[in-house]
Amino acid sequence: MLSRNFRLQKVGDIDWLEKNYGFSNVGFSIDELIVLDVSRSPRNRDKFSEVLKILTNDCFAPIAAGGGINSVADATKLLRSGADKIVVNSALHSNKRLISELAREFGRQCIIASVDCKQIEGNFYIATNNGSNLTDLTLTNFLEQCSDLAIGEICINSIDRDGTGNGFQIELLNCLPELFEIPVIISGGVGNYSHLAEGLNDPRVDAVATANLLNFMGDGLASARSQLVNLGIDLPNFNLIKNTI
Amino acid sequence: MSKKQVVVIDYGMGNLWSVASAIRHLGAEPHITTSAKEISSANFLILPGVGSFRRAMEAIRKNSIDQAILQSLSQSETKLLGICLGMQLLGSTSSEDGNTQGLGLVPNTVQKFTNNANTRLKIPHVGFSEVKHDSNTKLFSSIPSESCFYFVHSYFMGLTPTIKGVATCNHGVEFVAAFEQGQVSGTQFHPEKSQSIGLHLLKNFLER
Repeated sequence: MLSRNFRLQKVGDIDWLEKNYGFSNVGFSIDELIVLDVSRSPRNRDKFSEVLKILTNDCFAPIAAGGGINSVADATKLLRSGADKIVVNSALHSNKRLISELAREFGRQCIIASVDCKQIEGNFYIATNNGSNLTDLTLTNFLEQCSDLAIGEICINSIDRDGTGNGFQIELLNCLPELFEIPVIISGGVGNYSHLAEGLNDPRVDAVATANLLNFMGDGLASARSQLVNLGIDLPNFNLIKNTI
Repeated sequence: MSKKQVVVIDYGMGNLWSVASAIRHLGAEPHITTSAKEISSANFLILPGVGSFRRAMEAIRKNSIDQAILQSLSQSETKLLGICLGMQLLGSTSSEDGNTQGLGLVPNTVQKFTNNANTRLKIPHVGFSEVKHDSNTKLFSSIPSESCFYFVHSYFMGLTPTIKGVATCNHGVEFVAAFEQGQVSGTQFHPEKSQSIGLHLLKNFLER
């Protein structure tokens, strides 16, 4: 996922990513990987797809990709370049018809709705276009309409916490209606494993996302995962027969 | 020894790249194809699939892929693996998007998960879940029961006593997580997305 630093730093091209991340190595520490093209300049979809192919080549975990998806063709390209799911953000608000078209084409389980939220005077408002466009739609209102949207998962990201390492903005979850059917991912703010535990222990949360532990923390993800297991959090064990392949 | 040739069926709706990448990782050679001719002469066939059952069957029928699969299975050494929607397509019907006939290679029907206030289950069923098996299938050879595999689906194949070599998973209801019935097998989960255990299962599929 995004982090504040990631937005501000130009971290490098695909070779840099390969050298510093080694996605096939972190593969055993994550349940899923989200790759976003957050370019502010006009996006080069061909290039992003090529990067995605290289990144995902030896990563046998689910991969979601997104960033500026505006057509079925955009989504098809990503799904043919290593993505299993697509992440939509701005189009949720500006192009609702696209969401139904994507669902008809790929099934709703293929679509992760991502919303960036900013707290203003106690309310959470949704921002679009890489967080640059603050809307007057509240998270509460959006989540109430969610059952009409053909989406498979929702990722709720806190702009205020993103990249801070201060922990999730758990109050975001208070905006969820009772009996919310769609799986919820919370994102933005993870600095250490106890933040992940706080998210995973909340019954309203189905998954937690972090970029911080992946970007800046050495073996942060692997050690966070083993500490979560020590805390008794039920995570799949991928190491059972690791040496047989 | 030459590499095993694995035909990955392309009917316009699948995470083909991921499946091909896993096959390549295992030392076999994937061929992504839309060609009925290539499908009908395959030794190892994989039917992947992400999307709607109805649209998938329409695409499969339009390109005579259904006939090609049947023809391929008429050779006794051919093995077929359906993945996710690809497994569901091997069943008889699905209630997704109106009732649609499947390939009918196994008698099972496909239906949607239903939720209620008591179960509070999320739909789709997404994430790594435990798969139980007590059968001596080749597919699960040396894979412990209750290993975790990656699922993402809103529809499931119901259990029937007639289907063979079944592994199960539970999401409010017991459903078919995988089966192996002679030449034909399927997994509701994505082995190509289930880390080393998933790769191991694919490796088992490629064994004779």
